[in-house]
Amino acid sequence: MTGLRKFGGRTWIVTAAALIVLLVVNTVLQKNFLEPSVVQSNLTTFLPLVLVAIGQTYVILGGDIDLSVGAIVALVNVVTVSVIAALGGDGTAVALGLLVGMAVGAGCGLLNGLIIAGLRFQPIVTTFATSIVFSGLALWVLPQAGMSVPEPYWRTYAGDILGLPTVYAIYVVAFLIAAFLAARPFMTRLKAAGGLRTAAYQTGLRLGALRVSAFVLSGLFAAFASLCLTGETASGDPLMGQSLAMTAISAVVLGGTALSGGVGGTLGSVLGAWVVGMIGSVIFFAGLPFEYQTLVQGLIILAALAGGVLVTRR
Amino acid sequence: MQPVLRATDISKSFGAVRALEKARLTVQRGEIHALLGANGCGKSTLCKIIAGTVGCDAGEVLIDGAPAALGSPRLAEEQGVALFYQELSLVPQLSVGDNVFLGREPRNALGFTDRAAIFRETEALIARVATVAGAGLTPDALVADLSPDQRQLTEILKVLARKPKIIIFDEATATLDRRQVEVFFDILRELRAGGVSSIFISHRMDEVFAIADRITVMRNGQTVAEFSAAETDRYAVVYAMVGETGAIAASVRDHAPLKGDARLVVEGVKAARLGPVSFTAQRGEILGLGGLQGQGQKALLSGLFGAEPFAAGRVTLDGVDVTARRPAEAIAHRIAYVSGDRGRDSALPGRSIFENTAIASLVRERRHVIPGALFRTRFAEVLSGLNTRYAGLDAPIGSLSGGNQQKVFISRWLSPSPGLLLLDDPTKGIDLGAKGDFYLLARKLADEGATVIIYSSEDSELLSLCDRVLVLNGGTVTADLTGERLTPFELTRASYGDAA
Repeated sequence: MTGLRKFGGRTWIVTAAALIVLLVVNTVLQKNFLEPSVVQSNLTTFLPLVLVAIGQTYVILGGDIDLSVGAIVALVNVVTVSVIAALGGDGTAVALGLLVGMAVGAGCGLLNGLIIAGLRFQPIVTTFATSIVFSGLALWVLPQAGMSVPEPYWRTYAGDILGLPTVYAIYVVAFLIAAFLAARPFMTRLKAAGGLRTAAYQTGLRLGALRVSAFVLSGLFAAFASLCLTGETASGDPLMGQSLAMTAISAVVLGGTALSGGVGGTLGSVLGAWVVGMIGSVIFFAGLPFEYQTLVQGLIILAALAGGVLVTRR
Repeated sequence: MQPVLRATDISKSFGAVRALEKARLTVQRGEIHALLGANGCGKSTLCKIIAGTVGCDAGEVLIDGAPAALGSPRLAEEQGVALFYQELSLVPQLSVGDNVFLGREPRNALGFTDRAAIFRETEALIARVATVAGAGLTPDALVADLSPDQRQLTEILKVLARKPKIIIFDEATATLDRRQVEVFFDILRELRAGGVSSIFISHRMDEVFAIADRITVMRNGQTVAEFSAAETDRYAVVYAMVGETGAIAASVRDHAPLKGDARLVVEGVKAARLGPVSFTAQRGEILGLGGLQGQGQKALLSGLFGAEPFAAGRVTLDGVDVTARRPAEAIAHRIAYVSGDRGRDSALPGRSIFENTAIASLVRERRHVIPGALFRTRFAEVLSGLNTRYAGLDAPIGSLSGGNQQKVFISRWLSPSPGLLLLDDPTKGIDLGAKGDFYLLARKLADEGATVIIYSSEDSELLSLCDRVLVLNGGTVTADLTGERLTPFELTRASYGDAA
């Protein structure tokens, strides 16, 4: 226990070790695992979870939680698809659709943040309630799955940008945003707000603004995830991303971010998201029945939570 | 010369309690100004108003002659006021450097946090206390891993990093040892030389006279005296704190020392920031714990009850070892505890008066089924003896006033009556009538043979109720007052560690 503390909050090292073990196991189980096309296909599958987990990290670091990200994914998807369709489906329509989608995600986050930090509602209850509202809105915008996106959208997503696979380009951009934020005072202040609110207040930090920003980031990253999923499925689906919120939270916790706030970082969450994804992959290629995947994932999250409690308790 | 801070006619009420009534405070540039007063005199509230954490109802604060808007800690800081927090304002999950510069991080040209600068400047600050910092106080160390005195030093460094004009040090030396206090005083003198003013609150009279240039004394929410430290003495300062009547008036009760053998023997008990403390008490005695707030009184009571067990020492009652490791053991030895923090320590919120009363009997009598009829008759009798107004035993506890709730919580322990009753600031926030009933009840229990130990943040309560008062200062007993020495003057004097 005390040994883990010596990592100085860098519990993501443990996550990285777990990831390496999973990589080795997967390479043994699946002969072509390290072929570039398979790597790219796996990373494409994990991308939405990675993005949602990055966004969720900010909220959890600030001492809150966002259960509504799955619903935001669905709402952004149906709004984007509808906007593109309504504008005729050419290049401008796609660009506008993407922008509107991101605005919807950020707006949902802003609403969450204002209710929680402004009106001082409980984050867990509030985001559960708003997730129902967002899901309801998604169903109202697009009652049934369907309405495909234009071909250039999903072709670009599956293809390259400037010689780099689009998926990798998105990873790079996401990492740059995370690195940019991590190097700003914002990150330290957010951790302070989540670590000990009274101390942060007495120090003169603007707690409300910090917490609202975290929720906006969470909504924005959920929108990114949704646009990626849309590139994969190439259609609108009001029920998209339902399990993402909980899976992302488990990825964040696996990555060493404390649910109580104040400790952790986005790097760990990215590794955590990959670990969650790889577990499914390993179980699948080990020939185990599909129904074990959820059970094992649940047990691993439980173990991670227990580990977190043991590490923080001295 | 224009004073750097002039606060005039500051009034503030919390509900019906008037904390400040036209208080004033004037601090000159580059002086160390001690603010003194007994518990509840309003000195902490006045400081919080100046630091922007509490708003005031009326009055004016001038900084450098200009009216200051002090709506929040951030605004106060912008005007050059920094408060050293007794309850520390450090974030345990962050490093020392991050804490010291939290909210005002140095940035590079691109707007990113300049980590190298944080490290460098924090190191320079730590160098100022290097001789007493101890191992492990580095810019990268997590605050969670620091010892209490290192945290206090870090808090001082955090205040210094803000380069304020006025610093309020509220009990900044509480966890520091003698050498660390000396270094802290050197820093204060350096600040003074640089034109920075300090407002200094301390429970140690020695420290006040060692460092302060001027002294302001408060009593009952008002400013009653201002001294130049060089031209006054301890006697005059304590006299100002208790006032003319307090110094002359004999105590309210006839405090004839009790004759008899000690039945409660406390030997060398220790806890964090407490002890070693040894004392004895007799059957039928009401023993008060006095002193300024937070000097170990609560730790002593919760240690006796086993809620926060002592690290060392021994407690015997009637010759039986009753050193408790958890409350259940204390309860088994007929030790009862009533806290003034009813919401946190006593109430089962939303449950009935009956359930709130029965809970202690269930534990003590090891019952698994509630004997409804038996308990009801018993509690109705006990409560009627306490002059409690209630709709019925099934009414929720929240339907009672604070005073009546407190009577219910004490009634928990009355059947059978306790051998040792521990009262932890029990009349906090209850009305005068209920307080009177409460005193009578405590006296009655003592007369029936119980030993009562009471901590109260109101000196008048101790003086009127207790046979004897132990005064604590910095976790140790500085005076044992009985008989003619049990006066407001002696009590206040001992509270500031100034034993006769």
